[in-house]
Amino acid sequence: MTDTAGNATTTSGDEPVTMMEYFMQLEYSDVVSAPVMRFRDALMDARLIAQQCPKCKLVYVPPKGYCPIDTVELDERNEIQLADRGVVTNYTVVTPVQYYGQKETEPFVRASILLDPPGGMLILQDVLDIPVAEVRAGMRVEAVWAPKGERDVDEIGNRSGSALEGSLRGFRPTGEPDMPAEAFSDKVW
Amino acid sequence: MATAHEPCAIVGFGQTKHKKRRDDLSLPGLVREAAERALDDAGMTWSDIEAVVIGKAPDPFEGVMMPELSLADALAAVGKPMMRVHTAGSVGGSTSIVASSLIMGRRHQRVLTVAYEKQSEGNAQWGLAGGRSGGMGAGGIFAPWMRSYIRGSGAPEHIGWKVAVKDRLNAVKNPYAHLQLPDITIEKVKESPMLWEPIHFLESCPSSDGAAAMVLTDEEGGRAASKPPAWVLGTAMRSELGSFPGRDTVRPQAGVECAEMLYKEVGITNPREQIDVAELYVPFSWYEPMWLEGHDIAGPGEGWKMVDSGETEITGSFPVNPSGGVLSSNPIGASGMLRFGEAAQQVRGQAGEHQVPGAKVALAQAYGGAAQYFAMWVVSSELQPSLS
Ligand SMILES: [Zn+2]
Repeated sequence: MTDTAGNATTTSGDEPVTMMEYFMQLEYSDVVSAPVMRFRDALMDARLIAQQCPKCKLVYVPPKGYCPIDTVELDERNEIQLADRGVVTNYTVVTPVQYYGQKETEPFVRASILLDPPGGMLILQDVLDIPVAEVRAGMRVEAVWAPKGERDVDEIGNRSGSALEGSLRGFRPTGEPDMPAEAFSDKVW
Repeated sequence: MATAHEPCAIVGFGQTKHKKRRDDLSLPGLVREAAERALDDAGMTWSDIEAVVIGKAPDPFEGVMMPELSLADALAAVGKPMMRVHTAGSVGGSTSIVASSLIMGRRHQRVLTVAYEKQSEGNAQWGLAGGRSGGMGAGGIFAPWMRSYIRGSGAPEHIGWKVAVKDRLNAVKNPYAHLQLPDITIEKVKESPMLWEPIHFLESCPSSDGAAAMVLTDEEGGRAASKPPAWVLGTAMRSELGSFPGRDTVRPQAGVECAEMLYKEVGITNPREQIDVAELYVPFSWYEPMWLEGHDIAGPGEGWKMVDSGETEITGSFPVNPSGGVLSSNPIGASGMLRFGEAAQQVRGQAGEHQVPGAKVALAQAYGGAAQYFAMWVVSSELQPSLS
């Protein structure tokens, strides 16, 4: 016997079925906000943009359209271009749990990247072209963009946060000397 | 302590035996098992209850939406006021606080509160990932913050292993705890598989089915209770955004302010001295020293030293999680209420084998989301204890 995901629900013929898996699904249309649309357009062009709050100077990547701290509205006038190079300020190596829909099978990295001036944090980024055991805080990295014809931003909505892998595959080491990790202790998220 | 509000007493506590899979019980059966035990402990029946407050972690974890509606029958809440609370992993704590507020505000005299999770009937990893690939689980989000703590405090790596061993040995004294690992050692924790660097398998909480429940009353109910009550001296909830540039994820501001507000309300000026025992939400070992510092029980960089010197053992000067904590049982929605209820059991003198002798003042805490929701309370065996 199999469930809706095609997994066997019994291990042998004489064992009673005690549980069957069914997956719920909810489909809805998300009206993508204007700042996120501009962010998507920039990604298609292999560029990162953000909004900077004029009051607290914090940089929001992706742009939110407002600063939640000062409750001020942000728009195109507050837009800034970001660097696509930076430094790993923190990371973890995740051992993937094999839930339904999980495609990862081997341990993978998720890193926080502090971009070069004018700054901005990108969290939960993949680090490519290096064994996971060699990733470290302080490592200098640069963006790995998907080739122009392959870039896809359809998955990016108002709540996707930093999941950009359709266009920005991740970051790879530049080989430059590491920076001291202590300098970024307050920029890990 | 000025109490303009009605005093609130916990007169009954109940919990299920927490297990990987309680397939002997349906969802209604699970919450009912905990609720019946709380009523028995209070010497009450269903008809004594005026209102029910229920909490659980996000609905996608079991895929049963708005379960408070279908569970009303099992909790004899049909025709009574029933309220659902949502604050992610901290929900068991927030639910307890909401229930206490119905007493303190003199809206009701006897309230039943219940929290649960039946992890075996769903997939929390799938739920947390929203069904998408590359999900990191809660551990993946928290792991870099623990590394930041380790780097900032200079804590040696054995601190995490030590907490993992302590809580599991405490759980051996708690017959309701899910994990029973009497043979656990530092060596076994260290050698267990790495899940999210720096968190090993044995430094992580299990997935559990379970429920917790409490009966809360007004002052009259507390004074008339057949067993000693626990008095709620103060409660606090705080939250902050899960992500913003410059956020302090190791010592979130909401957690600092939540504790500050609570201590002020209760009249605590030196938590380490004035609190006898604490049940803190520690799903991954490093969160014990992190919350000791994050709630100003220990100074910066001092939390891990309390662990290292054995102060947080049951026999230490500041016992943390004598029940075995979240590291030993994690029915997510119930995990916060287990902290709040176990704190009450300690000051009621009802904690059994994991009782801290003479505990008079106990702290409970729960956190949730990306360490952004906080709920805390302080309970005592006396309504107006002298906090020395
Ligand atoms: Zn601002």
